[in-house]
Amino acid sequence: METRRLVLTLTAIAVGAVVVIGGLAIALGSGGGGGGPADESPGLNLPDRIEGELRLFGPDPITLDPACAADAGSAEYIVEIFSGLVSFDRDLNIIPDIAEALPKVSDDGTVYTFTLRRNVNFHDSSRRVVAGDFKYSMERALHPDTLSTVGPVYLDDIVGAKAYNRGDADEVAGIKAVDDSTLQITIDAPKSYFLAKMTYPTAYVVDRREVDKATCFADTEWTRSPNGTGPFEMKEWVLGQRIELQANPDFYLEPKPSLSQVTYILSGGSPLVMYENDEIDLTGVGINDIERIRDPNEPLNKELVETQSLDTFYIGINVKEPPLDDPKVRQALAMAIDRDLIATELLLDLVVPAKGILPPGMLAYNESLEGLEFNPTRARELLDEAGGPEVLRDVTLLATGRGASPGPVLDAIVALWNENLGVDIAIEQTDFAVFQRDIKEGNYQISSQGWIADYVDPQDFLDIHFHSDSPNNETGYSSAKVDDLLEKGRTESDAQKRIELYQQAEEIVVQDAPWIPLSHGKSSVLIKPYVRGYIIPPFVIPNLRYVTLQR
Amino acid sequence: MPGLAGYIIRRLLLAPVILFIISLATFFLGRFAPGDYVDIQAGARATPEIKERIREELGLNDPIYQQYFRYVTNFVQGDFGDSVIYRGANVEDIIFPRLWVTLQYNLIVSLLTFGIGIPLGTWAALRRGTWLDPLAIGTFLTFAAVPIVVTIPILQWLFAVKLGWLPCCGWEVNRAIDDATGVELGIFSKNIILPVLVLTLPGIAGVARYMRSQVLDVLDQDFVRTARAKGLVERVVVGRHVVRNALLPIATLLGFELAGLLGGSFFIETLLGIPGIGQFGFESINSRDYNAIMAIVLIGSAAFVVANLLADIAYGFIDPRIRLGESQT
Repeated sequence: METRRLVLTLTAIAVGAVVVIGGLAIALGSGGGGGGPADESPGLNLPDRIEGELRLFGPDPITLDPACAADAGSAEYIVEIFSGLVSFDRDLNIIPDIAEALPKVSDDGTVYTFTLRRNVNFHDSSRRVVAGDFKYSMERALHPDTLSTVGPVYLDDIVGAKAYNRGDADEVAGIKAVDDSTLQITIDAPKSYFLAKMTYPTAYVVDRREVDKATCFADTEWTRSPNGTGPFEMKEWVLGQRIELQANPDFYLEPKPSLSQVTYILSGGSPLVMYENDEIDLTGVGINDIERIRDPNEPLNKELVETQSLDTFYIGINVKEPPLDDPKVRQALAMAIDRDLIATELLLDLVVPAKGILPPGMLAYNESLEGLEFNPTRARELLDEAGGPEVLRDVTLLATGRGASPGPVLDAIVALWNENLGVDIAIEQTDFAVFQRDIKEGNYQISSQGWIADYVDPQDFLDIHFHSDSPNNETGYSSAKVDDLLEKGRTESDAQKRIELYQQAEEIVVQDAPWIPLSHGKSSVLIKPYVRGYIIPPFVIPNLRYVTLQR
Repeated sequence: MPGLAGYIIRRLLLAPVILFIISLATFFLGRFAPGDYVDIQAGARATPEIKERIREELGLNDPIYQQYFRYVTNFVQGDFGDSVIYRGANVEDIIFPRLWVTLQYNLIVSLLTFGIGIPLGTWAALRRGTWLDPLAIGTFLTFAAVPIVVTIPILQWLFAVKLGWLPCCGWEVNRAIDDATGVELGIFSKNIILPVLVLTLPGIAGVARYMRSQVLDVLDQDFVRTARAKGLVERVVVGRHVVRNALLPIATLLGFELAGLLGGSFFIETLLGIPGIGQFGFESINSRDYNAIMAIVLIGSAAFVVANLLADIAYGFIDPRIRLGESQT
């Protein structure tokens, strides 16, 4: 009998809880309904809102260590908390940052001399940033024990960097702190894109007292409250929930940050609903909502901003094995795809169709490039010359994904190939880890991929993917002519000539078709009208100090 | 009850064995899956040499049995290793706050589901043959039939955008309680209402139908007829005889529910922005965050084993007909 009573008691408690919580819900609900947002002007009046606070839907950063960040999601925070010698302004020009002016470059183009500002301190105001801090920070990013995957990639033009990274040297010979305010960096050959690489977080300055033992994978506690130099400083980071940044009042560049605080919500949610409910001030718009937002009758339409991003989505082809080693087969595949149809009908103009490798807005972008236009008749002829549809019988397309369907774009491409070429190409989906490995090892035939610029230079697209010796040349493409053009492009100092070199290289690559460029992305973002001065950069640049809130 | 004690001891001894087998399977399945977190996080530009050096340094190149042994040794000592989703943070520092969040909303949901489902099922059973029974059960079955990925946007639109009563997403900790006691409670906030609604509405039907069939079973039994024949009022017959007996099998259901308290739902947590364990579990698998996967699976399994044990014990206490291990004597 005792135990039965227990069960009944438990039930009674449960019912009690229902009543209490139900009552609570009603009380809270009616409270909100009575004096809630509906009666007030929307926006800044929200109860939890701090004056001057910008609220964003944030990606969850993997790391806030500038030496280690390989993803845009992490870099977005790092560029606001830390800073380096130079950075991009919002027109994507390289401007001096901690350096007081752009560096003096020696006549042979290999020695860069930076003079540092004297009024730059770490956030805790304990110490001035000196040239030695930069030498320390870059050497740390290159040190083998730091285990950075990006340090050796972004800093490898510096003399002695490779040896230091291998552990064969005690210092990086090419980085010299001449005195507290003078830093001299020597690179191995004149390279016009070197300064652009210095804007990347791997060249940012960190406080040696707190990062002493930290590597990219261990002793990372310091990144929870880093002592940086950037326009914003960390106020609080609750893992997986939110990051709060506050303005650095002593920031050394104009304009100083106007926002008092930036709160990133990391715990997920439904961004568009949060935006509509005034919980965040900015949100991206996806394909499911874009038609509604674009409708001029929709109130949100006035808050929509669409901009081009610097990326290219493409079909990458492994050119090393038959039948895809035959350029005719690749050209046939390229000319059988109707990119305009995909961009407008399928993706509702959320992308622009691509003709070439370089996205619009990129230096050397060629508007009049003759791409492999959609031409089903010619495509079929080319394929017949190469042996007909049978040659593509066992070819599969590798894509990353985990759904039941690989997505409308790939479905459409395969359908177009089938319709125009009479070939039946299977799609193989794998998760991201497997995909990365297969691509790197050349263990694929056709793949669906994208590439986002790290800095505004065509070298970042063309040299990296199509020079025969590049570790990122995943298609196995090799052309002596293209190699030659790309090598000249690295050192050419005349800007116009350099653009022509890259444009020539691009034309050859497009005709040889190791890539079939599909589209360039656009960002479609809703921004609250009281948020002023927010621009949507095509890649990660320091941005928030320009933003103000105005009713 | 020596029989029951012996049974409990046997089950307790078995628990570590079960956990060991699970840990072994999870560990090896994880490591044998192609690709690892170095591939995922290295970035597109990293050279194979750098990646190889990282693997070497992090011990990913050691023989798998060594890695397993190292993991188990550390795990037993309370060191769950580092996460790679949050580079360098201890897995235990990430997982326990998230489990706590998931536990809170699941607990409320369970209380509500059973608190509404049990009376509803009883009520419906007593009205068998009238239109009220199918109406009540049918209404809640409708909620159960709609997938939560559909329910969530509808409720968000209704309560957040249209009515402006509730925040659509997020998790708010009550600051007063946190400051006073250091306990982070999220259940005294408007934010709890949507997830609770989304999970409770479809859950009620299951409990109610189960309870209904139990009550109907009991109603047919002899002792109920006897009670009625004795001339007891219907209220007493139902309250004292029918419901009590019908509740017995519900204890088993409660056991499963207990085990499920630590299991977060990926969809709910992602769409409603709740920093719970479901979201993190999904991410950890996609990121090949081995240490996080192991910890989540092991803690989940342990909870399941314990909850099952509790349910069995409770059952033994409640139902005199089932005295485990004593049936032979």
